[in-house]
Amino acid sequence: MLNRALYKREMKGSIKLLLIFGAIITLYVSVIISMYDPELMKTLDSFAEAMPELMSAVGMKAGAGTLLGFMVSYLYGFILLMFPMLFCILRGNALIARYVDKGSMALLTAAPVKRLTIAFTQMSVLISGILLLVLYSTVLELVCAGSGFPGELDVKGLLWLNVGLLCLHLFIGSICFLASCLFSDTKYSIAFGAGIPIFMYVLQMLANVGGSAEKAKYFTFFTLFHPDSILAGEGSGIAGILILLACAAGFYALGIMIFHRKDLHI
Amino acid sequence: MSAIQIENLVCDYGGGKGVFDISFQVKRGEAFGFLGPNGAGKTTTIRHLMGFLRPRSGSCVIEGLDCWKERDKVQARLGYIPGEISFFEDMTGREFLKFITRYRGIGDRSRQEELLERFELDPGNRIKKMSKGMKQKLGIVAAFMHDPDILILDEPTSGLDPLMQSRFIDLVGEEKKKGKTILMSSHMFEEVERTCDRIGIIRKGKMVAVDAADALRERHTRTYTVTLADQASAEAFALDFGGRLSGLQVTVTARQSLEQIFMNYYGGEEHAEQGAV
Repeated sequence: MLNRALYKREMKGSIKLLLIFGAIITLYVSVIISMYDPELMKTLDSFAEAMPELMSAVGMKAGAGTLLGFMVSYLYGFILLMFPMLFCILRGNALIARYVDKGSMALLTAAPVKRLTIAFTQMSVLISGILLLVLYSTVLELVCAGSGFPGELDVKGLLWLNVGLLCLHLFIGSICFLASCLFSDTKYSIAFGAGIPIFMYVLQMLANVGGSAEKAKYFTFFTLFHPDSILAGEGSGIAGILILLACAAGFYALGIMIFHRKDLHI
Repeated sequence: MSAIQIENLVCDYGGGKGVFDISFQVKRGEAFGFLGPNGAGKTTTIRHLMGFLRPRSGSCVIEGLDCWKERDKVQARLGYIPGEISFFEDMTGREFLKFITRYRGIGDRSRQEELLERFELDPGNRIKKMSKGMKQKLGIVAAFMHDPDILILDEPTSGLDPLMQSRFIDLVGEEKKKGKTILMSSHMFEEVERTCDRIGIIRKGKMVAVDAADALRERHTRTYTVTLADQASAEAFALDFGGRLSGLQVTVTARQSLEQIFMNYYGGEEHAEQGAV
């Protein structure tokens, strides 16, 4: 099912992006966790009170008491959503659609390798990248919190939270992958693969602002990843994760089948 | 037994583009020349053989295997040079060949070295920086290095200088001697004439002629018998023009080149079209 030579080549192609996004995440996570300070919290809370719309649009709410609550407010609204999402968009498009568009897919299909294997391998590369980013973020959070504030972090809560985050990004990746398999033109692959997740994120920002715009949350899949519900152990939080995971699996399978059957003008 | 069999293949892109009800066969061990101008449908036909496109009507079969449904099995026996080669530009030539070797699961790499020497290609450069000719050579090495039974070559000599074109034609000749089946598309008459047993001519998506290369040539041959004044000039005439001498009469044969034959199939139509405009 997996072609090792192709997997290796494509993972090499992911390294640069993984390093860049890994570095950005390192910077933000370490700085933000080190900023956790009950005294400073009050300052941040005062920001949130002074301009609640702006702060809550990027998921930052006032009055996050615990360290994990603080991290949810300041990391899981923007940083840990946006950067893995950019990775999904860039790699998702490059793994299938760009090769078809440029014609170099002919190198891969003119060999005794099934198209199912090609698509499955490319999907594995995308999933591996997402997994590495979320895993790295988790380890980083554990290390930063553990060294800065020993014993203050709810480790089990954090792990559950990141399982949810992983499922969210697997789902975003599946949209990008599906678009990449569906369109033979990078123009459309990017329009859909990047357009849908970014549009959904904008809706999520709107919904966060509250008021009548809160209804927007019914139209964005980001609502399915709800850190507060996950941490509270509510059924709706777990259900959201499961829905994301099931849809992701469906989209990946659909993408592979479409690539298997499509005409390639290469 | 046919190695390659195309029956009633139709692929309509609309606007008169595509291929319409194409049928031909290539026998095992035969070299088939596929001639036609740009946009005639050569590449479209080849894409069907490669399993890139699903036939909307008709069928393509290679060695008894359906080119669409069993494309991975077909591909195990194929060597392919695309009409427009697009490589992974981030790699060097050597990295690319190594990748293809592993990707295809080829064990033996001796042939690769031999081909690189034959075409005087240094694969150490980045593909992005290679000239068109170098890329074409790299494509040739990649297509031949796993020693396939069947070669599908889409305008394989484009970008090569005359010396390398001639080396390529020698290579194709050697492969033919080894019993390989070859389908070579071209608008280069000479390379087809020199290498192919049979020739199919495609025009606006339709096959206009499929015949033995010799027969095609024969049909366009004219013979003249000239009577000369004396024996000495008759002998000299026969020598200079390659004629057959019998007494004072010399019989000479004028062969139209394949190019002229080709023009016969296309030329008339173009004039008619110009007339219509």
